[in-house]
Amino acid sequence: MSRHAWRVLALAVAALTGLAISACGGGGGRDEGGAIGTGAPVKGKKGGTLKALYANDLEHIDPGEAFYQPDYMMVFAVHRPLYSFEPTNLEVASPDLAAAPPKLSDGGRTVTVKLKPGVRYGPPVNRTATSADVKYAIERAFTAAVPNGYAPTYFGIVEGAPEPGRKKSTDIKGIETPDEETIVFRLSESSGAFVKALSLPITAPVPEDYAKRYDAETPSQYATHQAATGPYMIEAGKDGRITYEIGKRMTLVRNPNWRAATDFRPAYVDRIELTMGNEDTTVAARQILRGKGLINGDFPPDPPVIKDAVRRRKSQITFAPLGNRYIGLNTKVKPLDDLNVRKAIIAASDRNALRLTRGGPIVGDLATHFLAPGQPGFAEAGGTKGPNLDFIQNPDGSMALAADYMKKAGYASGRYTGSETLTMVGDDSGVGARTAEVFQSQLQKLGFKVDFRQVPHDTMFSKFCNVPEARVAVCPNVGWLPDFADGQAWFDPTFSGESIVPENNSNWAQLDVPAINEAIDEAKKITGQAERDEAWGKIDRMVMAQAPAVPWIWDNQANIASSDVQGAIARWNGQWDLSFTSIK
Amino acid sequence: MTTAGVDARNEAAENLFATETIQSGAVTARTPLQLFWGRLRRDKISLCALGFLVVLALIAIFAPLIVHLVGVPGPNEPDKSTLDSFGLPTGPSGEHPFGVDGIGRDVFARTVYGARVSLEVAILATALSVGIGVIAGMFAGFYRGWVDTAISRGIDVLLAFPILLLAIGIASACSFGRGGSSGCLGGSVKPGLALVILVIAFVNWTYMARIVRGQVLSLREKEFVEAARSLGASKTRIIFREILPNLVAPIIVYTTLIIPQNILFEAALSFLGVGVQPPQASWGKMIADAQGSFDTAWWFMVFPGVALLLTVLAFNLIGDGLSDALDPRSDR
Repeated sequence: MSRHAWRVLALAVAALTGLAISACGGGGGRDEGGAIGTGAPVKGKKGGTLKALYANDLEHIDPGEAFYQPDYMMVFAVHRPLYSFEPTNLEVASPDLAAAPPKLSDGGRTVTVKLKPGVRYGPPVNRTATSADVKYAIERAFTAAVPNGYAPTYFGIVEGAPEPGRKKSTDIKGIETPDEETIVFRLSESSGAFVKALSLPITAPVPEDYAKRYDAETPSQYATHQAATGPYMIEAGKDGRITYEIGKRMTLVRNPNWRAATDFRPAYVDRIELTMGNEDTTVAARQILRGKGLINGDFPPDPPVIKDAVRRRKSQITFAPLGNRYIGLNTKVKPLDDLNVRKAIIAASDRNALRLTRGGPIVGDLATHFLAPGQPGFAEAGGTKGPNLDFIQNPDGSMALAADYMKKAGYASGRYTGSETLTMVGDDSGVGARTAEVFQSQLQKLGFKVDFRQVPHDTMFSKFCNVPEARVAVCPNVGWLPDFADGQAWFDPTFSGESIVPENNSNWAQLDVPAINEAIDEAKKITGQAERDEAWGKIDRMVMAQAPAVPWIWDNQANIASSDVQGAIARWNGQWDLSFTSIK
Repeated sequence: MTTAGVDARNEAAENLFATETIQSGAVTARTPLQLFWGRLRRDKISLCALGFLVVLALIAIFAPLIVHLVGVPGPNEPDKSTLDSFGLPTGPSGEHPFGVDGIGRDVFARTVYGARVSLEVAILATALSVGIGVIAGMFAGFYRGWVDTAISRGIDVLLAFPILLLAIGIASACSFGRGGSSGCLGGSVKPGLALVILVIAFVNWTYMARIVRGQVLSLREKEFVEAARSLGASKTRIIFREILPNLVAPIIVYTTLIIPQNILFEAALSFLGVGVQPPQASWGKMIADAQGSFDTAWWFMVFPGVALLLTVLAFNLIGDGLSDALDPRSDR
């Protein structure tokens, strides 16, 4: 045996040494001093190339389909909806393709928008965008070729709006275009959210004459032949087809037909390169911090990187408050159908421990209800302190209170002693997996048996949490980022019983309480801002009293940039604003 | 080098001893077991490995007691006070000798409990694959004909599967149950340790079967088998009473070589997320969890990594030692 054994031993020693050496690497860097970046837009110089690193591909690039944060980051540099948000403004959108704020008449049921003259498409279309193009953009979003997630939610009240998923785009009678620069929306009822929804990319013009042949296919091929109205356009070949290598890269170049005088975007850099497939986000984040001209695209930096940046590279990291995270408790599944059991679970949950899985206090405030700070209705919902409910008061959780609620639910020992096993489906990697494991241990402390299934994040949604039929009891990795800052965008999709759908359901708690459904329906119709805030704040309290979820953090989204990047954060999107970021 | 010298000297001593016994005329018969033990005893490296495995087995059996005596929290109890204000784990200290992991669980406790998973897989998966392999191999070799063809072709088909992909496929298929049911085949197969053991047994019996079949093919022609047959012994008796005892040496040797392979296979599956399910601790899973933070929290990967390395090494060394001790003539 001798020689063989020694060889094995030698290999083992070598492996151990290698391990020890690599363990000692890392570290270094200097203390920069200064303050954490604010992400406020600063006047910069023109020129240069900005590079954004993405872990995954963009979900959608068609303005009619774009829905997620990373989509928006790109789409709002390439397309101009009627209204859009300036980086620091979260509540009121500025006229973009529109010339002025919308005019409401007829008790809020008629909305008239005037367009700016002289906003032109980039090549190959090269003509002025008209009101008819906006009308077509909305009509196509109701077809199966352009699956849009929110068209029926906000534009379904336009008179003559069809059911979504049509084979061909149909003329919506309630959208009128008396001339090329005027568009009039006729609504079946007044709506406070409609005006705000005009800032969604669905209102970015699409030239019907050019787009029609691409939209004739299902799914539409317009995404790969799109015509830009914004300061940038996706680099395209001679045939108008964009040069976008899925999973690899996309390049934005200046739109030659864009005129700075018509736009509030300064558009400093000449070229923006989006690189996808940076799946090792720790490596990508370190590249950004140490490299040149780089920003993060779709991934937040991991806790070690945040710590490193906050200590040594303060000016290269910035935090943007946006959205919330909660743990959905399925109110249709035993034993969570019992309100007292849900209250006990919330009372037992240690939100401080949950927050540490994402990076501690710097990545957000502990949530006491749903509406996030800075959002309209936040103060009315109870502010930072939250509603006066004992089960959400203790940030570290209270096992004594939890036991009380379990007793009220009929479990004399104060712990769960029933036969049901809770099915929990969560992330299989990253910070999400850690959050889920911590929550699993908290459920187990209360006596629950937990069947925790780990799957990729998108599978968690598409196969489990978004599918009521899957009967998942606990969804630990959900949260909400509203389409725009408004209570309706927060609560209608997430806690209205009328929003429960067989696929793509986002009412993860499957909460269906008639009083709440009615309150939501009533609040939708309110157009005055103060009354609206009051109504949605009250709905937040009503929902929280039902204990359908454990809200645990109001996100403070971390973004990082190289030292030569003068970055600006789009507060409404929680990510870098490509049109306001410059190279020093 | 030195061991080679020692071996040679031992060999010489043995010969001398053998001659002496013959000269003295008092022939003491030594059973094969005594011979085997005598040879193994002189192999210091194998004995060290064996000692290590005995200690490991004790650690696994008494894991709760050890964790209690050392005074650390249990393996599945996250403690947020062990994390800094950025949620990053703290390193080895008096309270947590191996440090804590990403959510504040004690790495020492998890490493100790991880030994249970590794040894369970080592014992159960190996026993299953050896059991199936030996029986299939004996039948194929003894009956030949269509039985041999069926079994051998079956083995060929199994060997053609990309094993890791198959395991990942089965495990993920079993985690996508709908309608509240978890697992596949009506909830009877659930992702977790049991599934891992089944998958490993399913793919690993083939090696054993091939080796046993080859041995049986030659053994069945030996005189003692013919003698038994002519005395009217039944086929079952011939297979299990005449042939099987002669297979013990190769079976033991290959078993000890399959064990480390199985432990690594479990670690690989858990590393890929289809092995043991959270919060259960397994060395492979711990290493996977540590991936993202290795440069800031080395303890989180090093301790389970070293445990895995030493265990696999110990089994390999034992296997080596056993094969030498059972069959010293074999030229390795």
